[in-house]
Amino acid sequence: MFPLNLQTAFIVEEVSKIIKESVEAAIGGNAYQHSRVNQWSTSVVEQCLSQLSKLGKPFKYIVTCIIMQKNGAGLQTASTCFWDNSTDGSCAVRWENKSMYCIVSVFGLAI
Amino acid sequence: MFQLFPLDKISTYSRPFYRPFSGSQSAFLPAFLRVTVHLFTGLSPGHSQPFYRPFSGSQSTFLPAFLRMEIVHVYTKLRSEFGRQCLFSDRPAELLVDVSPDPNLALQFIQKTRRDQAMQASRDMSEHQVNTERFESESRGINHLEGGWPKDINPQEMEQTIRFRKKVEKDEVYINSVLQLGSIMEHCIRQNNAVDIYREYFEDEDEVEENQEPPSAKTINVFRDPNELKRTVTDLSWRPDGARKLAAAYSCLEFQKSCRGSSLDSYIWDIENPNKPELTLKPASPLVCLDYNPKDPHTLVGGSYNGQIVYWDTRRGGTPVEVSSVEQSHRDLVYKILWLQSKTGTDAFSASTDGQVLWWDVRRLSEPTDQLVLDPCREGNLDRAFGAVSLEFEPTMPTKFMVGTEQGLVVSCNRKAKTPAEKMVCTYEGHHGPVYALQRNPFFPKNFLTVGDWTARIWSEDIKESSIMWTRYQMSYLSNACWSPVRPSVFFTVKMDGTLDIWDILFKQNDPTLSLKVCDDPLYSLCLQDNGRLLACGSQGGGATLLEVCSGLSTLQKNDKSLLAAMFERETKREKILEARQREIRLKERSRSEQSREEEVGPEVGDDSPHQLITWTEKDFFSLVEAEQRRRSEREGRGQQEKDVCEEREEKNETTSAK
Repeated sequence: MFPLNLQTAFIVEEVSKIIKESVEAAIGGNAYQHSRVNQWSTSVVEQCLSQLSKLGKPFKYIVTCIIMQKNGAGLQTASTCFWDNSTDGSCAVRWENKSMYCIVSVFGLAI
Repeated sequence: MFQLFPLDKISTYSRPFYRPFSGSQSAFLPAFLRVTVHLFTGLSPGHSQPFYRPFSGSQSTFLPAFLRMEIVHVYTKLRSEFGRQCLFSDRPAELLVDVSPDPNLALQFIQKTRRDQAMQASRDMSEHQVNTERFESESRGINHLEGGWPKDINPQEMEQTIRFRKKVEKDEVYINSVLQLGSIMEHCIRQNNAVDIYREYFEDEDEVEENQEPPSAKTINVFRDPNELKRTVTDLSWRPDGARKLAAAYSCLEFQKSCRGSSLDSYIWDIENPNKPELTLKPASPLVCLDYNPKDPHTLVGGSYNGQIVYWDTRRGGTPVEVSSVEQSHRDLVYKILWLQSKTGTDAFSASTDGQVLWWDVRRLSEPTDQLVLDPCREGNLDRAFGAVSLEFEPTMPTKFMVGTEQGLVVSCNRKAKTPAEKMVCTYEGHHGPVYALQRNPFFPKNFLTVGDWTARIWSEDIKESSIMWTRYQMSYLSNACWSPVRPSVFFTVKMDGTLDIWDILFKQNDPTLSLKVCDDPLYSLCLQDNGRLLACGSQGGGATLLEVCSGLSTLQKNDKSLLAAMFERETKREKILEARQREIRLKERSRSEQSREEEVGPEVGDDSPHQLITWTEKDFFSLVEAEQRRRSEREGRGQQEKDVCEEREEKNETTSAK
């Protein structure tokens, strides 16, 4: 059954935009600092989640954030889900600046 | 998290609750079918829109994640959709992020070198030094005559005291304790009477022990000028009868320095009590020198800054008994005053930089009994007189005395000469600066010690040309010296850098046997007690330091006298030979110059132009200084080397005679 109401569907572009804005707001022009990374990751996640819940959609959200210093290392993450493909969705955003990467993934599960 | 409550549980408290009618969607459904659910319920009911109330930024970091935010999300759902079957399907794995490693980025980082960092789980402490303020203490004695009576007994009443005494005597405890104490007392008394512990039992045995320990001197006490403005201790004198008292003269000797506000007093100190002087001497003008009468330990005579002579009797307190009249006294400060040996024991003589040596009878200080003007031409002309800085008098030779002058000459005089011209017998030249100290050796009166400029010199009376022995030029000015009254070969010198040097010429001639830094101020005066062990030296800062010399330097050794006599004889002979040779050379030169004058030849050998002389002297001086410096650095590197001091002088003699 496809979601008939746009208001109750998981729209990837919308979510992606929200994530990008949140990340930009939280760690915008900063360089990687080990002492502040904890703070940054929690603020990214909080911002994302608050913006997502402002959408008012009947979803459970799971937000994860990875901040990695650009050291020359490589990173791979993958995910798999067992859900209702019609109603649930996920979105992953990769953001970077000169000194770090920030990868935020959001999973939205319809209630 | 969210909770569903059944319809019949409508309540108004702020826990999760449901509101049947809300939201636009629920308008079409019957009431019992609509359920509103709150998500993450906060504390404000009545909102149908999600809101969140996050905690303030700074607080959020300290709280665990699940408490940090309050998001309230309200949504509605059709009841019919509750419990719908879940149609789950698998979504295959999808790579979310792929960041490839980039070693170039790693180049932007360098590995930090491993460092050791010490950590200590303890509090940071720092060390501070605290010096409490000086506490002035005074010794007081208490004489306890009567006391210890209980409160109800009036000690004046005989009856009561007698009754109390009788009562106590009958007490058991009293009897027991008296018995016990009595036995202890008896033991002590018997011990006391068995052996006389104060008698010297072994004094007839001569203690001849070779002291192998290194020479040392220990500071015992420092007597400080109690006034605010500290003056120099210019003279010290020990009380002659062995009683432990030291008289110190204080004055400000700096040239033209006005010591306004400084006290005029000088003090007599008891060496047991350095806190407070025993007696304050109050002259009209600060004392520059003073001396205890060797015959009468109560009388003192002192010379003051304005030239007057002051006489004290310590039994009469600190005010002078008599003062010499200003017109008849010296015109300049009295540098030295000494008691003379005479039948009446009241004669003293004083020397001053005005060029006079005056004799006084202390019973009548209104005018001097005799006068000597130190005029080199022996005419008694005061304008040309030499200023006297030190005096010397040996009681074994009552007719002779010596005066040390500012010009570096030592004048030997005869008291009993008929005419004033004959009073000055001969002069000894040798010092470049004022002769600050002058003393005959107590064991060998023919030899005397002088101190002036940077050397100390020992002379023999017979040799007038130069001293027979001298120390090398010291690093700072020597201000005073004296022989040890016990050991003939030991003498003490004090210097302007605050060091005291003890020389033992039988042991080492090049350097002092012991060199002690007494204080940071220049030392000006020095006085040894007659037993040779206690020594007092006075400094510019007003402190008189009392030192005790080790027994090795203050006990007479067996061969001291004979060895020293041999040494003096040897040196005297050497100087005599040198003197004779000098005379020969001078004679030869004189005869040669007479001949050359007859022949009218050109300038004499010794007649260099002043400019040449100056350059030659400069070169000589600098080469000597450099040679000395080199020698010093070599010596420090290699340690002590024994070198005969006289070699230096002999070389110089040879070079000068060769010219």
